[in-house]
Amino acid sequence: MKFVAVCCVVAAVGLAAFVGHEARVLTYLSGNPKVCINCHTMNTHYATWQHSSHRDSATCVDCHLPRDNFLEKMLAKSRDGYNHSLAMTLGSYGNNLRIKGNAAKRIQANCISCHQELVSQMLANAELYHEKGRMTLDRPCWECHRGLPHGTTRNLLATQNNIGVKEL
Amino acid sequence: MKKSWIVTIASVVIMVPLLLLVVSIKENKADQKAINAVPDIKKFESRSSEWGKYYQRQYDSYMKTRKSDEIKDVLKEEPALVVMWAGYGFAKDYNAPRGHYYALEDNINSLRTGGPVDAQSGPMPTACWTCKSPDVPRLIEKNGELDYYTGKWARFGGEVANTIGCADCHDNKTMKLTATRGYLQQGLDAAGSLKYADASHQEMRSLVCAQCHVEYYFKKTEWTDAKGEKKTANVVTLPWDNGLSAEAMELYYDQREFSDWQHAISKTPMLKAQHPGYEMFVTGVHGKQGLSCADCHMPYVREGGVKYSSHQVGSPLQNIANTCLNCHQGTEKEFRATVERKLERKNELSRTAMSVLAKAHLEAGKAWELGATAEEMKPVLQDIRHAQWRWDFSIASHGSFFHAPEETLRVLGSAINKGQDARLKLRSVLAKYNAANYEAPDFSTKEKAQAIVGLPFGKLVEEKKVFLNGLRGQWIEEGKAKGVYDAKSREGMQFKTSYN
Repeated sequence: MKFVAVCCVVAAVGLAAFVGHEARVLTYLSGNPKVCINCHTMNTHYATWQHSSHRDSATCVDCHLPRDNFLEKMLAKSRDGYNHSLAMTLGSYGNNLRIKGNAAKRIQANCISCHQELVSQMLANAELYHEKGRMTLDRPCWECHRGLPHGTTRNLLATQNNIGVKEL
Repeated sequence: MKKSWIVTIASVVIMVPLLLLVVSIKENKADQKAINAVPDIKKFESRSSEWGKYYQRQYDSYMKTRKSDEIKDVLKEEPALVVMWAGYGFAKDYNAPRGHYYALEDNINSLRTGGPVDAQSGPMPTACWTCKSPDVPRLIEKNGELDYYTGKWARFGGEVANTIGCADCHDNKTMKLTATRGYLQQGLDAAGSLKYADASHQEMRSLVCAQCHVEYYFKKTEWTDAKGEKKTANVVTLPWDNGLSAEAMELYYDQREFSDWQHAISKTPMLKAQHPGYEMFVTGVHGKQGLSCADCHMPYVREGGVKYSSHQVGSPLQNIANTCLNCHQGTEKEFRATVERKLERKNELSRTAMSVLAKAHLEAGKAWELGATAEEMKPVLQDIRHAQWRWDFSIASHGSFFHAPEETLRVLGSAINKGQDARLKLRSVLAKYNAANYEAPDFSTKEKAQAIVGLPFGKLVEEKKVFLNGLRGQWIEEGKAKGVYDAKSREGMQFKTSYN
């Protein structure tokens, strides 16, 4: 019986390794945008980013993950990874993905950290010209800058035949 | 004993969801494969309408290049060109470029390709087809590169049936961008600035254009065919060994004592620059920022709920909102004004250079006429050669005034300088033969200029018409018989030239 138990453990470990290999788990340690198109769900986001003016200055992780410390970054990555794999496996997502919650906060923080001069000027202006407390400072940038960087059309069916995305 | 049971059961329990996960991952991967799959298009399929069946948006936008159909006779606008190109095809006929849809048609209709009566006649070599058609890679594959580059232009009239299209830039199996002409790879590897094999997708979005929008020459290459017959091929070659600048290529040609033709009036061993678009672009600010040709000339557009790269290759000014304003702040009006001003600056220097060069040729002609010796003329001719090369290099790719304004104006400046150097030297030669006050004749219209250079314009048009009404028709029939002629690519095309 001991022998059977060892065999089963080996099989389970082997299977887990195989799952990891099939899911290309190790690639997720890298920050290369191509990793995000391991899943075809991200094709449209990759393609629209690739054609945007942010393409030369920011990759996926530059906007979507915290950049202030490594631990935070990895935690956020794991969190997103878990949610994404769940959605992929259960097929519980539609063709129009919208960012929200913690993931949205991260992006907002990154907008601010890159465009600091602009934002601090806005804050200074707000303090000068608005009554205290009348200005809400929590509206996300993309409420006005709607097309950045993925364009306003980001349905998953929007970028058919995009050859740049196929070079995995 | 009990422990073993627990471990066994736990392992099996763990394996169940893992197995389900494997199944799910496999399914998703199969989905991905299906989404990324490309239709099966046969190798060397040169009929773009066949590709268009699967890529309708790309094809429709490509077909819109038919809208760029205006024939603008540049010789009429700048008669000095006729004098500058005396003894060379460009003095016969030279129009501003039209859309890709017309590339082949214009090549066939141009007076430059003459009026061949059979496969062995006419002024031009086979190499003239190289940039005009996706039928070319098939012909190169068929009997080898050297064979393709051997013989007269008319030799392949029945084989080259389609204008620039899908197969020129896309791999038929994967749709990936690919260079279908070998000389680009050789040129890049010779230059050493970017290995073709290392090019990224973004770089390929420029390099597929660089297959044609570059400076090239026909390198005479001796070879022996299978029957042991000695032949000479005119191989399209990019002169990039010393680098991509005007001076580097000038040196390349000087080292090889190459000339495209001998000028009919000044007897200068001339160079003709051919649209060094890519070479200029990489020196400019947009090139330096890592942009590709496609970023501005094939903007990403939205049609209903779908986005794709527009294949209506043309001026980005037709679509400023999707091109310039993707990265820049500002209004369409401002951008149009900025670009217009750049063009004016280029035109100002270019016109000065053309006037200087045409006069230099005519003054040199006078010096020969009065009995100047080859020795006296040698330094003059060297200056003229370099001056005209530099002028041509700056303007031949049309867009250089925008792609690289500084480089364009710099090279134009040096062209004017070299041209005036030649004229200074010429004055002493002319003075020696008592013609210090010689003034070049008036070349202010195309007709006057063509009369000065002794160009039998009427005869050329006659020959062309005979060809268009005869051999040309046979070529179309031949293409149809071979199954390479794409009738769709000519629907509603009007016959437009500078001479009809």
